Amino acid sequence: MSADLEFENLVNLYYRDLYRFGLSLTGSEADAADLTQETFYIWANKGHQLQKAASVKGWLFTTLHREFLKTCRRRNRFSNESIDEGAEGLPNVPADCAERVDSRTLLRVLGEIAEDFRAPLVLYYMEDLSYKEIADVLALPLGTVQSRIARAKIQLLRRLSETNLPLEQTK
Amino acid sequence: MNTRDAKEILLLYRGTTDDSDPQFRAALDYAKSDPELGQWLREQTKCYDTIRTKLRGIEPPLGLSEKIVRSRPIPFPRIWSRVLQLAAAIVISASVTVLLMKWSERRNHSVAGAQEILVTGEVLDMTCYIAYNLSGPDHAECARVCIRNGLPVGIKAQDGKVYLLSGEPGHSVNAELADYAAKTVTIKGRQSVRDGFAQLQVEEIRKL
Repeated sequence: MSADLEFENLVNLYYRDLYRFGLSLTGSEADAADLTQETFYIWANKGHQLQKAASVKGWLFTTLHREFLKTCRRRNRFSNESIDEGAEGLPNVPADCAERVDSRTLLRVLGEIAEDFRAPLVLYYMEDLSYKEIADVLALPLGTVQSRIARAKIQLLRRLSETNLPLEQTK
Repeated sequence: MNTRDAKEILLLYRGTTDDSDPQFRAALDYAKSDPELGQWLREQTKCYDTIRTKLRGIEPPLGLSEKIVRSRPIPFPRIWSRVLQLAAAIVISASVTVLLMKWSERRNHSVAGAQEILVTGEVLDMTCYIAYNLSGPDHAECARVCIRNGLPVGIKAQDGKVYLLSGEPGHSVNAELADYAAKTVTIKGRQSVRDGFAQLQVEEIRKL
């Protein structure tokens, strides 16, 4: 297979997932598109260094996340804020709490969660990655990733249940 | 394990994605025996599916994939063997250049290897000779003063050929030759020629 065709196939396979991940991190469609594009360009230049073809997806997500963190540092708005300890505790929320919001509102609520917690939560929801793979993508210990996902999920569900919106708006 | 422990574990459970993950096995077994926990787990799983579906329903802008493919940069993989070859070529070229420069420098400052000859003729003050065609006994005193003062000195052979006389690089022979101005001597030296101009590096002066 030619390099051009291989690149095109790779883009078609993963650009949606990467864009969604970028959008959930940045909250901006333009920034998400730029991050996605940049990730594939880095692949075009460095992807040949990757030994295992099976880890391509993880490599792409790791790269996008790194590029996002670089952007955060450049803009000097990187936040290490942690989720309040008060948010701990098992959620007791209605099962339909997520059905009451549209995708855009869901993204907005996700954006209110600290980035350190948001990235693992988004990978948890959107991608079929194991916890070990999520930990590898974010370069974090497995225990930290699981702890952050659990706490962020509680936070998300609480915020969704508090969001008093009309039923399912247009997507 | 109690219900709270099982809930804490199952909070991360995503359904089929995590079915093969052993960390959930015990809690899932426990949920089978606890109807209330089982109901909670079904609601959590449904909620997970709803959020996942909504997030995965977000579509990228139209034309994004085409834009990415179209603007793909041309990859420039660094093949280290080629880099090493290039580095070696640069080092070799630089070494050859330095050697050539050194050789050329030495060649400019020395006549080592030049032909050794004997020349018999009149010692000349080259400035006056070339500028004014002055030589011979009538010009002897002027030539002696000029040579002593450092102006170029030469010898005109009996066949009419003129040589510029010089010493070893950095050493003048003017002091030794000044007293022979306009006189005939034999000089043993190494001959070299540049641009048609002959030079003799003096090794020995023989009075006649």
